[in-house]
Amino acid sequence: MPFNAVPAEYFFNRENELHYLKGLSELKKNALGGDVFLAGARGMGKTELLKQLYRLLYWEDNVIPFYYSFKTANLKGAYFPKDYFSAFVRQYISFAKKEPSLAQNAAEPLERLMPAISSLGLHWLIDCIEDFQAHVNKNDFYWQVVAAISAPVIAAQKSGKPVIVMLDDFDAAASLYESSLGDAHGLISLFRESMQSSLCPHVMTGSAGALETIFTDHSLIGMTEQMRLDPLPEDVAAELFGAHLTHLKITPPPVGEAKFLAVLKGNPLYIRNLAKAASKMRKKELHEKDLIECYSYEVSDGETAFYWSSILSRYMKTPAQQRAMLKLLMHSVESGGVDDIKRLSVLSGAGETETGAILAAMQASGIVRSKDAVLQDFIRCLYMKEIEGRNADFAREKIEAKYLSESEESCFELVIPMSSNAELVVAKAVEQIGKNHNLDAEFLNYLQLALIEVCLNAMEHSGSYEKKVFLKFITRPDKLEIIVENSGKPFSLDTRKEIPVEEKLRMGIKRGWGFKLVYAIMDDVRVERVNDRTRVIMTKNIRDKEVAT
Amino acid sequence: MKPVQFSVTSKLVGDAAVIYPKGYLNNLSGEGLVNECGIYIGRGITKIVVNFSETDLINSIGISLLLQIMEDLRNIRGTICCTNMSKFLRDTFEMLGLIQHMIVFSVESDAIKYLKAGTT
Repeated sequence: MPFNAVPAEYFFNRENELHYLKGLSELKKNALGGDVFLAGARGMGKTELLKQLYRLLYWEDNVIPFYYSFKTANLKGAYFPKDYFSAFVRQYISFAKKEPSLAQNAAEPLERLMPAISSLGLHWLIDCIEDFQAHVNKNDFYWQVVAAISAPVIAAQKSGKPVIVMLDDFDAAASLYESSLGDAHGLISLFRESMQSSLCPHVMTGSAGALETIFTDHSLIGMTEQMRLDPLPEDVAAELFGAHLTHLKITPPPVGEAKFLAVLKGNPLYIRNLAKAASKMRKKELHEKDLIECYSYEVSDGETAFYWSSILSRYMKTPAQQRAMLKLLMHSVESGGVDDIKRLSVLSGAGETETGAILAAMQASGIVRSKDAVLQDFIRCLYMKEIEGRNADFAREKIEAKYLSESEESCFELVIPMSSNAELVVAKAVEQIGKNHNLDAEFLNYLQLALIEVCLNAMEHSGSYEKKVFLKFITRPDKLEIIVENSGKPFSLDTRKEIPVEEKLRMGIKRGWGFKLVYAIMDDVRVERVNDRTRVIMTKNIRDKEVAT
Repeated sequence: MKPVQFSVTSKLVGDAAVIYPKGYLNNLSGEGLVNECGIYIGRGITKIVVNFSETDLINSIGISLLLQIMEDLRNIRGTICCTNMSKFLRDTFEMLGLIQHMIVFSVESDAIKYLKAGTT
């Protein structure tokens, strides 16, 4: 309901947007503005902005606010028009009488509101209700929808006050149906009349992916401008986090220990959830380690995890589909993108058609476009639990270990083609990374050699169609970790046969020295198969003598 | 290590061929080295010195091609000596357990002397 907005003091950095939306009806009346689509990543505060706008307009009394959420709406023909219509009537009466409770009491039949409507002298509204009821009695689905959607326009005309119509998760309206799913395509275009009214600006939210599909409906194109809600700037994000903590009576982290908050990328939902997690974990004061601990709880079992789980389950109904989607999402997180359908079908364990449908749902949901570290960590946790069969504690430990070590590490990523001498580019990169960390030149020569050998192995034996090698260098004060990844044929260290040098020479075997060098040079070498990729993880400890003086 | 474009030069010192591989010794350049040695072997030269003073780096494919040359020479009862190897290059062969199967000298002149002595 629109009245459960957060207190204004926790609603940061959206003053300009709120000011613009508040004046939208004036702009539309003068043909200087139209309808607005609020864009922005999930959790960025789009719904909250609508609620804040609602509250503002409600008490200012110049413009009538109407809020409707499609997220929780029943989209079936027998329910939707009644729900939409009665929500509008309730909110209108509530606005007129300035009694918020009237808007919130959805269980009360409209008939009981009649005395209030009469006392306000709103005879046109009584006519409106009677007309709508006539369509219901005739079981005329189409006219019920038209009447419901037109109600705000009629109210604006009769009352002389503009109505701002706020449609949250509007993309779901594309799925409106009469009696069975998909039986009434294009009902969303019935909003055209309402949107064209100069008295009724519409403000909509929804996933960008789905909205793109909807706006191929030409009746809705051209009337809508996009307003993007960007992440909160770093200082404002820290301020908001601090405000939440203060409210929860928790001492915020010292300035130097709050860098971890950057992971949340200024997302107000994540910021609020992390503060709440600290409260649930009974923290009295926060340091960096506490923040990471609370965060691992959030992405594994907290409200953030619940939020994303509910979104995933909205798009994939069956457990089998959810598992397939999770595998594809994990692949997307690990590889930084998606590949051709054949490979993905093998990965997901579903057929090509079903995999295609899952990918389409992922696109529509906007999940795969996101470079959202929090979402990625949620996916990692869920993958560990659902696919690898690990428990929540294990997943949390992994996430914590990642960020605790990251706090003093630096990371470089590199992609090289599988072409002649490309491995020398890697060698050059290692040289520079080593110089940045003041590592001894001879020590670097060995690292270069080991890395060249792993790259050559990938180029020669993987048979990858992708023809790329992905490298990641993670440097910490005490060790260097290098991860080399490529698609193609699996490679396992178990298949490596250790043949004594004498025997090799006697038998004329000249190849197979590469991994022997890698083993001799590195302190630890592991080979993993992640989806369809081979990942070689090499670790080299940095001792004092290996640091240049 | 600053790998430069590979090239190979050579000269004849008495009855021994001295080969100078320069740069990064990998599959492509290793073939060049094999060809250069092959030219001398074709002319009946059975003593070869490979002077590594300008070889920055050798990878496992380069190593395998060097082993090919060693084998070719062994088949015709020839001798190959390696000289002027950097510590890094020497350690690389050491790590693989190959150094004891090679005839290694610090400098080229010592290898020439050794080969000369072998013929007398």
